[in-house]
Amino acid sequence: MEEQQFSRRAFLRSATGTARNSIILLSLPAILVSCERSQQAQMNNEEFSVLSEEEAQEFLAIAARIVPTDETPGATEAGVIYFIDNVLADDREAEHEILRQGMRELQVAGVRNFNASYFHELEPEQQDQLLREIEESPFFGTMRFLTIAGMFSLPEYGGNRDKIGYQLIGFEDRHAWQPPYGSYDADYAERGE
Amino acid sequence: MAQANTTQPSYPTREEVDFVIVGSGAAGGVMAKELSVAGFSVVVLEQGPHLKAADFKHDEWGYDVNHDLTWGARKGHPQTFRKTVNDEAETRESVLGYAHNVGGSSVHFSGNFWRFRPIDFIEASVRGPIAGTNFADWPITYDDLEPYYTKVDWEVGVSGLAGPWDPPRSRDYPCPPLPVKSSDVLLERAAKQLGYTPYPAPVAILSQPHNGRPGCIHCGFCNGYGCEVNAKSSSMASMIPLALASGNCELRTGCTVSRVNTDESGRANEVLYWEEDGTEHAQRAKAVVLCANGAETPRLLLASASSQHPDGLANSSGVVGTNLMFNGYSTAVGLFDEPVNAYKSVPATRVMHDFYELDPSLGFYGGGGIDARHFSAGKPMEMALSGGILGGPSWGSEYKRNLEKEFTHTAAFDGHTTSLPLATNTVTLDPNVQDKWGRPAMRTTYKDHPDDIATMKFFYDKTMELLDVAGATKSAGFYAENGQEGNVHLLGTCRMGNDPSSSVVDKFNRSHDVENLFMVDGSSLVTSGRGQPTMTIMALAFRAADNIIQSARRGEI
Repeated sequence: MEEQQFSRRAFLRSATGTARNSIILLSLPAILVSCERSQQAQMNNEEFSVLSEEEAQEFLAIAARIVPTDETPGATEAGVIYFIDNVLADDREAEHEILRQGMRELQVAGVRNFNASYFHELEPEQQDQLLREIEESPFFGTMRFLTIAGMFSLPEYGGNRDKIGYQLIGFEDRHAWQPPYGSYDADYAERGE
Repeated sequence: MAQANTTQPSYPTREEVDFVIVGSGAAGGVMAKELSVAGFSVVVLEQGPHLKAADFKHDEWGYDVNHDLTWGARKGHPQTFRKTVNDEAETRESVLGYAHNVGGSSVHFSGNFWRFRPIDFIEASVRGPIAGTNFADWPITYDDLEPYYTKVDWEVGVSGLAGPWDPPRSRDYPCPPLPVKSSDVLLERAAKQLGYTPYPAPVAILSQPHNGRPGCIHCGFCNGYGCEVNAKSSSMASMIPLALASGNCELRTGCTVSRVNTDESGRANEVLYWEEDGTEHAQRAKAVVLCANGAETPRLLLASASSQHPDGLANSSGVVGTNLMFNGYSTAVGLFDEPVNAYKSVPATRVMHDFYELDPSLGFYGGGGIDARHFSAGKPMEMALSGGILGGPSWGSEYKRNLEKEFTHTAAFDGHTTSLPLATNTVTLDPNVQDKWGRPAMRTTYKDHPDDIATMKFFYDKTMELLDVAGATKSAGFYAENGQEGNVHLLGTCRMGNDPSSSVVDKFNRSHDVENLFMVDGSSLVTSGRGQPTMTIMALAFRAADNIIQSARRGEI
C-alpha cells in the first residue's frame, strides 16, 4: 500500500485548512445578492460585476487548466468565472487587486517565455508550464481555491452550473438515501454479518 | 414533540424572573426545558437567531466558508491566538469554534454521543498524578451521572445498541443503531481481524421516530449542518420546543450578554445585554445560569469584574479561563476498490474503544476512540480542495479524474483523543483587539501537552494499520504533530471540584463564590474524555437542573 503522511503544507491545502493559502479567506455576506445579479448578467450576456473583459478571459483560462474540459465538462462549462466575479464583487477590492497583480506577473512570464501578451492565447501545455512555476504562490492558491469552490458550491452562488461539479465526483445531491450505501455494506447485509 | 407555544411570556426586564439562562445550546436548552417545565419563570438569552429545520440547506459555501452558523472575524467577532504567554497573540478568523443560533453547536455537530466511562471520573487517582498538569479526579463518579445519561438517551434521543462494550447503563437505548455504512464495515472487519471489539456507535440521531420526531433519512449532511428533518437530537429540536410549550420560558434571540452584575451582598442580580440594534437592557433575576460554552462563559465571568470581584466574577480561585482542553484528533484516509459512498447517512455507525486507556508502559498518558467517516464529512468542496492527498496532482486533468474515486471510494478512520488540563492553556480577554460591540476579543493561549501529541500519533499509527488491514490501496493521514491551534470542543475553563481554591463550581455546577450563579456547559468538565463531550455536557445539565430545582424549592438559592 502506498502510504504518506501529509506534509504540513499539503495538509493546509486540504481538510480543515483548505483555504489557508488562498487570500480569499472566508465570509462573504452579501454574495447571494450579487449572485442573482450575476446570473441575470450571464443570461443577458451583460458585463461582469467587477471583472474586466481581460481579467475574465485570463482568470477563466487559468480556471480551465485547474479543472480542464476534456472527456467531461470543466470549470468553463460550470460557469466558475461568474462565481469568481461574485466573490470579488463582495467588497473585495484589495483581494481583487492582488489577483490583478498576479495576472500581470503571469502575463510578463508569458511574454518572456512564449512572446505572447495574454495567458489565454497560449497553448495548454505552455499555460501549464507557467502555472507550475507559480504553484505555491498565493495567487495560484487563490485561483485554485476559487475555481474549486466555484465547481462545488450550490449553483445559486453562480458556479456549479447544472451541478456539473457534483456529477464529476459522483455526488448525487439528494435529500434521502436508503441502505445499502456502498458495496461493502451491501455485502455485509448479504452475508448476515 | 410538543407544538411550540406561540404565546411565550413577556417578562419585564426590571422585574425579577426566577432564572436567566445565558445561551441556548446543548446545556442551555436542557436547562431551559427543565426549569421552565418545573414551573419557574425563565428568560433565555441567545446571541444568534432561532433557525429551524426548514432553514437549513446543504450549503457548504455558506456554512463552511462563509461561517453562516459559527460567525467569525468578518462578522465582527475576531479572536486571537498565541501558543504561550511569551508570544504575540495574532488575530484570526476563528480559533474556538461554536455556533450562534438557538441550540448552539448541538445543531450542527456530528451527533456522536459516547458516554464517558467510569474511568474518566477517577483516572487521576487510578493512573496517578502527571507532573506539570492539573489532571484530577472529578467530584462525582460515573454512578452519580448515570441516571442523567439515561435521561439524555430518552428525553433528547439517542440511538445505539446496549452490550458488553458499552459503559454500564440502567436502561436500554430508546432507538436501535443506524444501519451500518460501508466505511464502518471496512473498519469493523479490520478491527475484528486484529482482535479488537468494534461496536455500533451511539449517536444523537434518531434511527426511528421518537418523542414525536422522525427518524433519519440518511441525507449525509450532519457534520457542520443543521438537520432538515429534526432527526438530529439538537437541543433546538428536542428541548427548546418543550421549554416554549411550558408557557414559562421566554426565548430572546439576537441578544448578546455583556456582563453579570451583583448586588451589595455579592449575589448576581441582573444580566446586561444588547439587542441586535445595540439597544442595551438589564434583566433582573433571582439566579443566573451561564450555559454560554467553555469559551464564552469564562469570557463573560472575566468581563464581569467589579470592585467586589476584581479578578472576574466567581474567580476568587483565579482558575476561571484556565485548564482549556480540546480533545486531540487524527485522521487516516484510505482508497478502496469498491464504492464506499461514506458521504451518505450519519458520520459514523461503528466505534472502537479498545484503546480507551493506553498502556502506561508506552511512557505517556492518553486514550481515545476510533470511528470511520467520510474524510471531508461528505462535503464535495472540501474533498475537492483536498484532492491530491492520496498522491496525485492537485489540479489538471489527472486531478479531475482522481476526484470521483476520492469522493466515493475512500473511508477515513479517525482517532478522537484525550487532552490534559494545563494552567497555561487559557481563555482570557485580549487587551488589544475588540469585537463589534467594543468588548475585548477572546484570546486563546494554547499548547498541547507532549502526551496529547504522543496520543494523537499513537492513534494515527493505529488507524493507518487498520486501513492497511482493511485493504486500502492507497492511504494518507494526519495528526497535529506541532499541536492544535483551535478546536470546537471547549472544555475545562470553569472546572468542577470540591476545593474552592482550585475549582470554580461545586459538584452541582454552583459557583463556589456566588451562591445564585451556576456555570453549566463544557467549562465544568474536569477531564476531557475521549473526544465526544456533548453527551456528558447534557447529562451534567440535567443533573445540575435537578439540584437547582430542589434547592430553589427549599429556598436555598
